[in-house]
Amino acid sequence: MNVTLTVNGETLSLDVPPSTTLLDLLRDRLSLHGTKEYCHSGVCGACTVLADGKAVSSCSMLAGQVEGADVLTIEGLTPDEGLHPIQQAFVDNFGLQCGYCTPGMILLAKALLDENPAPTREEIIRYMGGNICRCTGYAGILRSVEAAVKERGSWS
Amino acid sequence: MCAATGPNVTRLVGQSMPSLEAPDKAAGRIEYMADLTVPNMAHAKVVRSPLPHARIVSIDASEARAMPGVVCVLTRDEVRADPEVEEVYGFVYRDAPLVAMDKVRHQGDIVAVVVADDVDTAEAAAELVDVEYEELPAVMNVPQALAEGAVQVHEEFFPIAPELRPIEGTNVCHHATIGCGDVEQGFAESDFVYEDEFLAPPVQHCALDLHAVISQVEDGQITVWTNCQSPFPLGRELERIFKMPARVIIPYVGGGFGSKSRDRIECVITAAAKLAGRPVRYILTQEETFMTFIRPAYRNRMRTGVKRDGTIVARHNEFWVDVGGYAISGARSANNTLKVATGPYRIPNARVDCYAVYTNKPPSSPYRGLPTTQHTMSYEAQFDRIARDLGIDRLELRRRNLVRDGDIHITGDYLRSAHSHECLEQATEAIGWNEPLPVDPEGKKLRGRGVSCTIKYTLTPAREMSENSAEVALVEDGVFEVRIGTVNIGQGSDTVMAQIAGDALSVGLESVRIVHSDTYRVPVDSSTTASRSTYHMGRAVVEATDNLKPQMLEAASQLLEREAASLVFTPEGIAQADGSANVTYGELVERVGSPLAATGDCVVGGMYAGPDGKSYPIASTFWTFASCAAEVEVDTETGTVRVVKAAASATTGTAVNPHSIETQLEGGIGQEIGPTLFEQLVWDDGGQLINAALLDYPLPTMETMPEYAPRFVDHPFEGGPFGAKGMGEIGSVVVPGAVVNAVYDATGVLFHEVPLTPHKIIEGLEGQR
Ligand code: FES
Ligand code: FES
Repeated sequence: MNVTLTVNGETLSLDVPPSTTLLDLLRDRLSLHGTKEYCHSGVCGACTVLADGKAVSSCSMLAGQVEGADVLTIEGLTPDEGLHPIQQAFVDNFGLQCGYCTPGMILLAKALLDENPAPTREEIIRYMGGNICRCTGYAGILRSVEAAVKERGSWS
Repeated sequence: MCAATGPNVTRLVGQSMPSLEAPDKAAGRIEYMADLTVPNMAHAKVVRSPLPHARIVSIDASEARAMPGVVCVLTRDEVRADPEVEEVYGFVYRDAPLVAMDKVRHQGDIVAVVVADDVDTAEAAAELVDVEYEELPAVMNVPQALAEGAVQVHEEFFPIAPELRPIEGTNVCHHATIGCGDVEQGFAESDFVYEDEFLAPPVQHCALDLHAVISQVEDGQITVWTNCQSPFPLGRELERIFKMPARVIIPYVGGGFGSKSRDRIECVITAAAKLAGRPVRYILTQEETFMTFIRPAYRNRMRTGVKRDGTIVARHNEFWVDVGGYAISGARSANNTLKVATGPYRIPNARVDCYAVYTNKPPSSPYRGLPTTQHTMSYEAQFDRIARDLGIDRLELRRRNLVRDGDIHITGDYLRSAHSHECLEQATEAIGWNEPLPVDPEGKKLRGRGVSCTIKYTLTPAREMSENSAEVALVEDGVFEVRIGTVNIGQGSDTVMAQIAGDALSVGLESVRIVHSDTYRVPVDSSTTASRSTYHMGRAVVEATDNLKPQMLEAASQLLEREAASLVFTPEGIAQADGSANVTYGELVERVGSPLAATGDCVVGGMYAGPDGKSYPIASTFWTFASCAAEVEVDTETGTVRVVKAAASATTGTAVNPHSIETQLEGGIGQEIGPTLFEQLVWDDGGQLINAALLDYPLPTMETMPEYAPRFVDHPFEGGPFGAKGMGEIGSVVVPGAVVNAVYDATGVLFHEVPLTPHKIIEGLEGQR
């Protein structure tokens, strides 16, 4: 089947088998390896990307479901020079250890801050509660998101 | 010996800094195993046993082989037909065949490997491999495996590590004892004797970066890329099995927690690659990780004799570890924890018996300090029972019994740097131990606090030897390349090594580059496990710089035509002390014409001299002490337990990267909340694992996160690099004990088994009524 979608600002038209997931499409077809895979069942959030601004588990979306969508991956979030403020907040606040959950966490945080520029701690926890991190115990991630919220005024 | 603690102006060591690779990780630019490819790579799918125990009657792979796109199928027939391949591997216990030979020993045991041009074809072809089994009775847990007349999982034993001692004719693949004093005499002298039994079920590590391997066998040379934690032992094992040189390359690893500490797929995929004549990649699925390595089931029967004032007089501790179908990892880890099973307490008469038992569960591996975690839960929970029974304050009871510097441990070691009392005080203070607990006006939610203390060893050889080396080289661009075998698994090892090397050379971080974990590019290292790297690799790095410095001075002295003795090291290069001449590191290496390099070793083990002039064996190069204090809320209606606050304090020696230590502690606590409250693997009566998928196996999330208070006791440890020692695993070890005790404090019920599920809590509360 054919799908047309925008990935990191570039509109693409691709021929893929119908069973292809968005994750496969990103990793295997487009070699965008920043999107990670673990459970392949929509539970862990390692494969989180933004589709039309919403955080989705790319492993549980078939290519057909993203027809026409505007997809943002960690590669698209990262500026040519340096880091996006949310990424920088994760670095400065020790919001990552092994880094495997990190792209997904950062994109989830981006979706949250786009939806709600000034979330409370409880709102952050509720929103981020679905993504798994095995290394940090989440405290560093929470500190990173809170730091990004504080800085929110200085970036758009 | 390393001159690791000489006078030095510390600039990098002691500073909190994010890991060097953090920006690349945040940008998603770091490559893990699943991101690597090699040209002409084929893909593997493993055919696994659906049964926990069965004889293989026949394997018919002809249909699979005939499928277009299939390269080859590896079964026992191909392994047997290759005279150059050894059938069985395991560098601790040699009991795992590359693929099942006569029988399968656990659900998920490896029966065949299908190699195809792409993953989908490999998967489809794997379905076509027809295996006929004759089911055998299975022993699914330790009591069944120890029962009279139980079927033997292995008829013969092949321990490699010298300390492993099986009991012939049984399923016990290892039994060992450690002791001191006279236990029976001790019990006779006790005023009270307490006996308890504690249990913990298996869980899985759930490292997000799935265990994976790419293997290539070409022109008599093996190259393996894998996210295994032990590259050098793996390389040696590959060389033994395939009788050709092997290179092992480890990229960045997305967590392991022990699940990747031993080989379970590398050797078999190499056999498949050899047969295929092409590089082969294999990535476990999340479900398959649950059948590859798990944290074993654990049982501990503990008798403790005390005086009326709470002084411990005697302890007999027997523990059973379910190593599963293969002892390639589990038997030795169980044995290692003999050293710490009695805890950080002075016990004049003690005996510990360790039993590692084969069953038909998947093989077990360490899990962040296993089973020290379960030992700690057991002796700490019993301690609170004793305190309550004797009417002695829980902290006071611990203070009366905790070890101090200069005590002789059960192993015969003379303990140094044993700041166990400080850990206890720090952890309890950090959660506000003496502050009143909030009271629920409706009386439905109960609050309580609990504490636990532990002692942990690090892997230590039985005789004096070098456990690892490092190489430091001044290379073309004036940068110092630090070549280490330590696997960067998320613990921040590159950063810690760069801090240590930078200070040892008096240069900034920008002048240091880390090259890690490629067995052809870095010198030998035993493994990245047991919190060992900061200390061991750190010492080797310091010694390498010590060996490099004279070479650099010599070269600079010739270039500058000055006496070597009159030259000093500066952050930029080497200079005449009076400032009259200098050469930068870049110029130095350019003028010399080739890199200057030196290696350093970290020699450990053997004996050391105690203050009394006697020699003591070194059972652990260093001991780490820690305490955890936790506050919980128990909902008496739903049975849910919430950990509200958790503080942990650990002895770290000099804190090389303090904030990184704090985040390691937070991570350890957060992870262990799962096995303490809700994680457990469950098998049905037919021996089938019923919750191998993440959908049915909840993990801790941001919502289960307590408020953390990480602390550490920062006293330089003599002999450590700049006074540092290891601590990577300690945060998790102290959690279950503190939480079980906090629930005891809240409810008055002492639970003897984790996880503390709502069902168990409600049952416990009802039993009390
Ligand atoms: S890999 Fe997609 S949610 Fe886990
Ligand atoms: S940093 Fe390792 S999983 Fe989150």
